[in-house]
Amino acid sequence: MRTQNATAYRFLTPYLLVFAVFWIWPIVSSFLISFQATRTVPWRFAPTFNWGRLIGDPAFYNALKNTLLILVIQVPVMISLAIVMAVLLNSPLLKARGLYRFAFFAPVVVGEVAYSAVFRLMFSLDFGIVNKLLESVGLAKIDWFSNVTPAMALIMIAVTWRWAGYNAILILAGLQSIPEDVYEAATLDRVSKLKQFLYITLPLLKPVIVFCAVLSIIGTMQLFTEPFLITERGGPGGGTETLGLLLYRQGFRSLNFGYASAVAYTMAGLAIAITLVQLWLTREPK
Amino acid sequence: MAAVTLTNVVKRFGVFEVVHGANIDIADGEFVVFVGPSGCGKSTLLRMIAGLEDISGGDIAIGGKVMNDVEPADRGIAMVFQSYALYPHMTVEQNLSFGLRMNGNPKPDTERRVKRAAEILRIDELMQRRPKQLSGGQRQRVAIGRAIVREPQVFLFDEPLSNLDAELRVQMRVEISRLHKELGVTMIYVTHDQTEAMTLADRIVVLKGGNVEQIGRPLDLYNDPTNRFVAGFIGSPKMNFIKARIVGRDARGVVVELAGEEKTRIVQPLAGAAPEPGSKVVVGVRPEHFGNAGEGDADIAVAIDVVEHLGGTSFLYAKTANGEDVVIQRDAAKVPDTSEIIVSIRKSYLFDEKGLRLR
Amino acid sequence: MTSRSQARLGRSVLLHLFLTPLALVWLFPLWMMVVFSTMPDNGIFSPGIELLPHDNFLDNVANLQRDTNFIGAIGISVAVAVTYTVLSVLLTSMAGWALARYEFHGKGAVVAIIFGTITLPYAVVLIPQFIMVARDFALANTWIALIVPPLFNSLGVLFMRQAFSMMPAELFDAARVEGVKEWRIFLFVALPLARPMLAALAIILFLASWNNYLWPLLINSQPGAMTAPVALGTLIGLTKVSWGGIMAGAVMLTVPMLIVFVLLQRHFIAGIAAGAVK
Repeated sequence: MRTQNATAYRFLTPYLLVFAVFWIWPIVSSFLISFQATRTVPWRFAPTFNWGRLIGDPAFYNALKNTLLILVIQVPVMISLAIVMAVLLNSPLLKARGLYRFAFFAPVVVGEVAYSAVFRLMFSLDFGIVNKLLESVGLAKIDWFSNVTPAMALIMIAVTWRWAGYNAILILAGLQSIPEDVYEAATLDRVSKLKQFLYITLPLLKPVIVFCAVLSIIGTMQLFTEPFLITERGGPGGGTETLGLLLYRQGFRSLNFGYASAVAYTMAGLAIAITLVQLWLTREPK
Repeated sequence: MAAVTLTNVVKRFGVFEVVHGANIDIADGEFVVFVGPSGCGKSTLLRMIAGLEDISGGDIAIGGKVMNDVEPADRGIAMVFQSYALYPHMTVEQNLSFGLRMNGNPKPDTERRVKRAAEILRIDELMQRRPKQLSGGQRQRVAIGRAIVREPQVFLFDEPLSNLDAELRVQMRVEISRLHKELGVTMIYVTHDQTEAMTLADRIVVLKGGNVEQIGRPLDLYNDPTNRFVAGFIGSPKMNFIKARIVGRDARGVVVELAGEEKTRIVQPLAGAAPEPGSKVVVGVRPEHFGNAGEGDADIAVAIDVVEHLGGTSFLYAKTANGEDVVIQRDAAKVPDTSEIIVSIRKSYLFDEKGLRLR
Repeated sequence: MTSRSQARLGRSVLLHLFLTPLALVWLFPLWMMVVFSTMPDNGIFSPGIELLPHDNFLDNVANLQRDTNFIGAIGISVAVAVTYTVLSVLLTSMAGWALARYEFHGKGAVVAIIFGTITLPYAVVLIPQFIMVARDFALANTWIALIVPPLFNSLGVLFMRQAFSMMPAELFDAARVEGVKEWRIFLFVALPLARPMLAALAIILFLASWNNYLWPLLINSQPGAMTAPVALGTLIGLTKVSWGGIMAGAVMLTVPMLIVFVLLQRHFIAGIAAGAVK
């Protein structure tokens, strides 16, 4: 290839402008803001003001705890479910494949607001269809919104419903890139289907699964709309408040930009750590 | 029409030099083939002539004008690519006319050129098809047609036949030869296949590791290679190389003894200085230069491993007394049924230890 | 029947017995969204179990329109999503083309910065973006505020870079030798060949813009400037609001996307899957 600086930058510049102004500069700016006291005019540099407060803030630990709790439970459940969906959807024995695909993949196109509204209604205490069905089979109805444990469970159920199919699409693509003859060879070697799955499919899917896990973790870490709309601003009593919600509350309700930026960079730190773990997990063996 | 001159042309990718100062003069109207094994720099040279690669050093001139900083389109060249590079979303006609249309060439002239190219290549009936609906040979014709339409001074071909099957390859080879006669313009053709080089070229440029090994007419390269590489590369099957050593010099030339054949002497005419007696050399013998016992300069005994019958001729895969592999060409009728035979060496070449020809 | 085909049949039955209930559970929320959107409010909040649609959809739409100007908000959402998609596809495919097909100074740095920051959470840029757009540029509650900042998304750059670099280089060299200008090669050779990828990218970007909630919620909070999801979100949690209406709004947001999904499933899935197969 010939070196073509002028041509290349003519194609690149429009995007790079937007990218620099609305992504790179904010990343830097956010970092700087987190070291400033932003509720005085003008803002002043106070390195320990926000970070010091963060370290001693019970609301921060509550949000961090809730976020990590959701991460630790919801992501593994969802990824496992997605693997099951993908493997079964890929089965040559499946009839009416299109219908099943539609069922699992459709939530991918549903907006957060729309499905939050539906879940809120489905799980309401006295008139929600879920409690009605529980009672119709003789179980006690659950107060999903007033107790912390059911509220957390509800958030996890909602997120899993919305994103399992998305991950299944990714895993299915990974499955379909495994050549068929590998399985044919294994069958001739009298390797059972289960062992084929454990010793061929899973190892070959590892990069995709790790990728899904990282995407899901980073997505769930920023969880905002579901606790905002379904459990009503992180209720009951902050029981489902996540880091995303804390950031929103501090940044845009209390207009405390410095403190909110510190929360944001805490999330960034977690994301970087998780990405490094991913790189380590999927490193090429030497 | 134009001559093409390469003067000390160098190509570097980063710190890695892949062409080390090539000097090649191509006359107007000549058909020149660059040949060599993969990685020898032949395609890089061609792409530099086309302007698709920067020139790291030296000059490339077309029609007497240095083209180093000239855009590909302004060099008066047209190029046919290995993969044909046909635009899959356009019909044959659109493929042929695309370049002219994009550059605002007047419509009647574009139509005239496209029509002429289609006639030359006999693809008139394919004009409304898309590349996917064409056979390999038809695609090849369209690719060549796209080059013709530009009415270039120089045609560049980058391994154009390597995606075709053996039969089509021969057919297209003849076609390209005919095209050269018809158009009479300079053509530069890159291939790794020495048969293509021998059959198509007015002159061949043999390349290896970024160096020009030899330039010459096909038969000159065959009869008078300058080194062991060219000798081995040109000719099929390859020339056999047998270890030997110098034993002396007499009036007719230098006297050589083949390894494992203490009694056999070959005398090679030699103009230059002879190496010291005892120094190691290599004797090269083409498969077709073996004869019946007693018919040549020297006789050697070989043990036959395998015989390949091609019909008219046969190849004997054999070992010398010293255990070296040789290939011997024979008329099919004259294949012996014993496994040990004596053959004569009718013609041979002598190379020093570095592979340079001793002559 | 042979024992082999019997075994196959058995496995097939098991597979469907497991997958069918799971699929029904997965469809249930969408089905209930449709059912709720057709029920009057007093039906939604009644003790009986209702699993089939009624005929109150249009009344619910009217109720929704009384609670908030949802039709207007849909108009904004459509205009914003279309504009955003066109601009983003254009900008990112140009950038992807440059990264895939040219050698230039600084290429390594550009790629490193894009890749190196791709996993940073969006939350990090939220506050500076807000300060910049609302305070510095004073663009809150405008369409520009909805369309331009999200254009930073680098998904398209990576996606199109991949698409262009998989095309044979000789194709573009051929055009270059013919004297075709670089921007015309991009426009008339590269883009037409990338059509399936462009379609996939466009669908993903449109969907992202259509469903975007957090940024529009922050930046366009005035009633006349809200997108449809934001307008709908303001109703959730209010007392004296029509839930039938909210569900009708959810249906209006969701069903068009479901139809697009069914019609263009192949592109859709390709677009999502391309993220993983890097």
